[in-house]
Amino acid sequence: MIPAEENMTILYNCGTVFLTVGLLFFLSGTVGLIRFPDIYSRLHALTKADNVGLGRIVFGLALQSGSLAVSLKLLLIWLLVMIASSASCHLIARSAMQKNIQPWRRS
Amino acid sequence: MIYPILTLFDILLALTLLWLGWHLLSTEDIFKAVVLFISFGLLMALTWVRMRAPDVALAEAALGAGLTGPLFLSALRRMNRVLKGERRLDSDENRGEDHAKNPKPT
Amino acid sequence: MNWLHTLFALILLLTIAVGVIRIFKGPTAADRMMTAQLFGTSGVAILLLLSTGMNNLVLLDVALVFALLAALATLTFIRRTWHDSGRRKHDYPL
Repeated sequence: MIPAEENMTILYNCGTVFLTVGLLFFLSGTVGLIRFPDIYSRLHALTKADNVGLGRIVFGLALQSGSLAVSLKLLLIWLLVMIASSASCHLIARSAMQKNIQPWRRS
Repeated sequence: MIYPILTLFDILLALTLLWLGWHLLSTEDIFKAVVLFISFGLLMALTWVRMRAPDVALAEAALGAGLTGPLFLSALRRMNRVLKGERRLDSDENRGEDHAKNPKPT
Repeated sequence: MNWLHTLFALILLLTIAVGVIRIFKGPTAADRMMTAQLFGTSGVAILLLLSTGMNNLVLLDVALVFALLAALATLTFIRRTWHDSGRRKHDYPL
């Protein structure tokens, strides 16, 4: 049986690990947005930063907050961002296909 | 430990805000200016948060990110159509045709 | 330990400042709009981290408004600005 304080510390450290992973996803998303060669691959990098990066940060903060209401609000924020990001990225990709923008090939 | 980091945050925020504002005023591509304005509104909301005014930040987020961005984009489209000399959507005779053919606009 | 959250918020702000390059370089309009959307998500993450860093739970509400209105700009861009190259037969008043 783990005592309560130690339990909180374990949760807090797990949250810190999740925050770090989310930050790494945001960093790689930005590097991908700057470095990738065409619009589809940049979209790919963007969605990873949006969904996974923010998801890890929200999860880490929810573990550290220790309160159910705050955790539910954080989860609601993540769901809203995910809906917005997936809808708009799908629309951008479809419009790019309709405008005949060719995917990048190694030539 | 926390105050030097917050000071660095403020300095970086102010510098980025100035840089964005300068480029948004001086760029020639008008769509680029609109996107820079949306980013500027976002950073402005963060600035209000740092000035410990979250209520103003709430208003800035709703106005800057939610209202002025779509308004500017719509205005940009209408401006392009007027410049190209196409028919305008706000004259009534052209609207009547479209509504007769397709009574329910999607 | 709250300085860690503030440090992460600082790093995220740094990624926003670096990402402005894509707005300047972006060959198509959609690239610029995608960058603005990434800024929106990074802004939400910064607000969430600052709400722990500054011990202020009101910032969660600001982040909620950001998340609610994040899609509007991109959707308007797709429907009104980017999709206007004459492929459609009808121009509906949206």
